[in-house]
Amino acid sequence: MSLTYAELERFYEDLVARARSRGVVCAITSGMACVAFGVAQSTQDCDLLCAPDSTGKLLDLLSETKLEGHPPDYRGRMTPPLDARWFRGGWTSHFAWERLGSEAYLDIFGLAPRGSSPWEAEIRGFYAGPHTVAEMKRTNRAKDWPFVTAIGARMLAAGDPRGWLHIYDETLLRAFDGAAHAPEDLLKRRPILELAKDSRLRPALHAEIQFWHELDRIRLHIYERAVRPYWTALRKSRLPSGTPLAVQHAIRVRCAENHLPVDPLRDYGVDRLMAEAREALAQMVHPSAAAWLPDVRGHFKLYSE
Amino acid sequence: RKIVWPPAVRRKLRRAIYDFHVRAFGEEMARVNFLPLKERRRYVAEMYDHAVRKGVKFD
Repeated sequence: MSLTYAELERFYEDLVARARSRGVVCAITSGMACVAFGVAQSTQDCDLLCAPDSTGKLLDLLSETKLEGHPPDYRGRMTPPLDARWFRGGWTSHFAWERLGSEAYLDIFGLAPRGSSPWEAEIRGFYAGPHTVAEMKRTNRAKDWPFVTAIGARMLAAGDPRGWLHIYDETLLRAFDGAAHAPEDLLKRRPILELAKDSRLRPALHAEIQFWHELDRIRLHIYERAVRPYWTALRKSRLPSGTPLAVQHAIRVRCAENHLPVDPLRDYGVDRLMAEAREALAQMVHPSAAAWLPDVRGHFKLYSE
Repeated sequence: RKIVWPPAVRRKLRRAIYDFHVRAFGEEMARVNFLPLKERRRYVAEMYDHAVRKGVKFD
């Protein structure tokens, strides 16, 4: 019998409460957080932000956390270890409780992808703040973007001016009229807001969304290439089913120390990432539309600070 | 620096946001998204449980 959504939600929230009671700095993000911020999305996974310095304590807790009597396993052979060294470099760890229909999946981040400010500074109950959740949703998946806009609109309606950074719907951008109302610093961060009453808004908005898509596509490519030697090494370990999580972890750490770069994005270069995204964009949009792109450097500054 | 919208503007924006939800998520989900949190969570739970019963695989 599968777990109901209410049971899953209780399981994850209880996990967060117990983690925090041990001093782990963590917060639920993505789909489950979207529900709290006014956009319904049903998901089987729990995406969790965990401060890199808390990863050791969280791993200990996961080892003790059973679902229907069973502890979790690391999920998949590409999953890096839940370890501060790799978490500071933007890697994520994945765990699963998988037993005859009772499934729960936990995806853990150390850094919020595209986060422009430390997520730890703005936690709301069990959840990361809406600004962080919206920045994390700017992926290369088209299905995520309506959620970004919905959260941004909710923020603006509640009086948080940062909502203007998250509106990616032309009609709504015109309704909120950032050119007339947005603070000066936000107009600098997102030049397209100046175009709220301008016919150039549509192509410029299209270019901006495509730019974020390209940034994410290249970022993922960097990590996927960096993980291959680790994946090859880990494949040789052939652990039997039921291996304790601590043993699974020790083997992953050993493989990672030899084969997994801690910060592939820093090695690659953020400037190079941005230049390649602009280059790819130039194949798709008119230069006049690309003139309104934001400076995205601030969204990658938290890597290996 | 919190924005304080005049009541008339607030009403206009609320309508614009609702219209966006209809465009992006459809009529039914727009209605759900404007429910109070407790009711929205209950709806999401029903939606998920129904999908699991039908054998839907999540991404």
